Amino acid sequence: MTASFDRRALATLPSRGELAQHDAAVWDLRRRRDAAVAEVPDWEALRDQAAAVKAFALDHLDELLLRFEERARAAGAHVHWASDATALCRIVSELFAARGARRIVKSKSMLTEECGLNRHLEARGFEVVDTDLGERIVQLAGEPPSHLIVPAIHKTRREIGTLFHRTMGTPEGEDDPERLTRLARADLRRRFLAADAGVTGANFAIADTGGIVIVTNEGNADLGTSLPPVHVACVGIEKLIPSLSDLPVFLRLLARSATGQPLSAYTSVITGPRPGGELHLVLVDNGRSALLADAAQRGSLACIRCGACLNTCPVYRRAGGHAYGTVIPGPIGSVLGPSVGGADGAELPFASSLCGSCSAVCPVKIDLHGQLLAWRSARPTPSRWQRLLVANAAWLMRSPTRVALVRRAARLVWPLLSRVERRNPAAPWLEERELPPLPRESFRAQWKRRRLAPGGASQPTARAPRV
Amino acid sequence: MSDRDAILERVRRAARHRAPAPDRYRPPALAGGWETFAAGLAGVGGEAHGPYAPQALSVRLGELVRRRAEGGRVVAEASAAELAGSGPWQVASEPALGHAFADVAVAVVRGRAAAADCGAVAVIERDAPHRALPFLCQHLVLLLPERALHADLHSAWEALPEAAWRGHHVTWISGPSKTADIEQTLVYGAHGPLTLDVVSIAD
Repeated sequence: MTASFDRRALATLPSRGELAQHDAAVWDLRRRRDAAVAEVPDWEALRDQAAAVKAFALDHLDELLLRFEERARAAGAHVHWASDATALCRIVSELFAARGARRIVKSKSMLTEECGLNRHLEARGFEVVDTDLGERIVQLAGEPPSHLIVPAIHKTRREIGTLFHRTMGTPEGEDDPERLTRLARADLRRRFLAADAGVTGANFAIADTGGIVIVTNEGNADLGTSLPPVHVACVGIEKLIPSLSDLPVFLRLLARSATGQPLSAYTSVITGPRPGGELHLVLVDNGRSALLADAAQRGSLACIRCGACLNTCPVYRRAGGHAYGTVIPGPIGSVLGPSVGGADGAELPFASSLCGSCSAVCPVKIDLHGQLLAWRSARPTPSRWQRLLVANAAWLMRSPTRVALVRRAARLVWPLLSRVERRNPAAPWLEERELPPLPRESFRAQWKRRRLAPGGASQPTARAPRV
Repeated sequence: MSDRDAILERVRRAARHRAPAPDRYRPPALAGGWETFAAGLAGVGGEAHGPYAPQALSVRLGELVRRRAEGGRVVAEASAAELAGSGPWQVASEPALGHAFADVAVAVVRGRAAAADCGAVAVIERDAPHRALPFLCQHLVLLLPERALHADLHSAWEALPEAAWRGHHVTWISGPSKTADIEQTLVYGAHGPLTLDVVSIAD
């Protein structure tokens, strides 16, 4: 574990009660996934196929991008290219400025989150409303999302009730999820009807047809793309798949992996603009081509953002999404962290137990724990004090006498150690833990006593080998 | 260099052009008929009705629609009205904007294909030209000819006419709009319809 990760985890899920609630909520998603998967006889074949299609798509991404561009243009869409977050933000804000669009409704898109599009647009006077209920909650709270598909999973109904009262003027003390959802529905409906433009992400982009696929349960993306005259879809270049006929395979995997539903409520394949409307597709790189060039890490570009690896991860469940400090949390976030997350991101591959549960549930078979391990070995040379520590340990371990001496000394300072460790700034997780009391007699003493006792336990026939 | 050329150049260098094109996926034969579909739809909060004989449809649909509308406005797409005949609904005309449907209580729309294994119905642009209608209405009713039901998503997908994919949208609908964003409590009617009814019409 890393110190910054732990500090953030302790700061965001403070009480044991909230931690338990978070853990249970996330585990419930994992349980639903398992039940849904058990009903699909060809689950493993689907995973193999999805992995093969993604491997093919990534290996031929240049060709797919060109084909997608050509077909999308033929269908009447405008295609834009953005090398990085700055370019995406500029393209989108210029589009809106040129059309006099001021009120923007957005559906959930991790890419625009990654690129800071909301902040950019708001700073230029655009009104941006996130319309996915969970995203709306974290937007009103001024927080980043903490889960890929349940952005406000870290918030309690009471917190949300208070937030809605403060920001939307809902009745004070209202904390019933159904009534809160209805109140948000009424508020957001007005905004959909008044919007000048809609922004969405895309779950998939289809090279053969130039179409994109948007999946939601709420229907917010469909309202946001069917009411305002302008639709801007922000598409990461890794979303390309070759053809329409590849989609059923991914769709049968996606919702089951995410929430255990056979299919999300709305899966829309959109090709070209609607009559009388405009469709702009922005293809975004922002570090993806660099990841593609990294043989050890390119596999993570296959991710379909289902969140299954989060739900199964013992670290994510107990730490919460904000502990990661990056837009995408959990195992996939830790794999992407070193390439996108700055200094803190480079530490993320260490926020893992490497148990491999993430790789076992991944619907597109990303070798998540393998990639985490690869990041660990790719880490730059250890610091001077780390090298010193290892050299000392090696010197110590070479001599049984030295080990025995240190052990005896350790027994004396042990009770003090527990108190000191709790204030160790390099290991904040120890604040929640105590060293167990030592047994009265050391292992060595017990061994010696029992071996010498008449009729005692096993009599070793030879001297224990020195290791 | 433009962003386009720079991205394509970087991708061209990084793509290895190695992995072979995978074979087309062959799903195992899945058994699934109307019962499977109805159970799947119930699992996601929708209700299946029928199959009704074509001559009984107008009456049964009329009852359902009145119950859902509670006196509110009912609109049917022309393609759905063609199947259902006349009843307590207006046939959607040519509105300039989807906003004209903001007060619709019940919308009746034709489904083009359905997948029993996931309780989903495909709505295509030709049958539902008013894109906002199925999402703005408070209650959605989909009409589904019995022969349009397929065992699984793969076969339902293949059954859609080629032209459907060239339209602006194909939307697979599985249940009413829903969210579980507040403490994982499932609530129907997040933004779109509060209820979804699928009415099957016997061949």
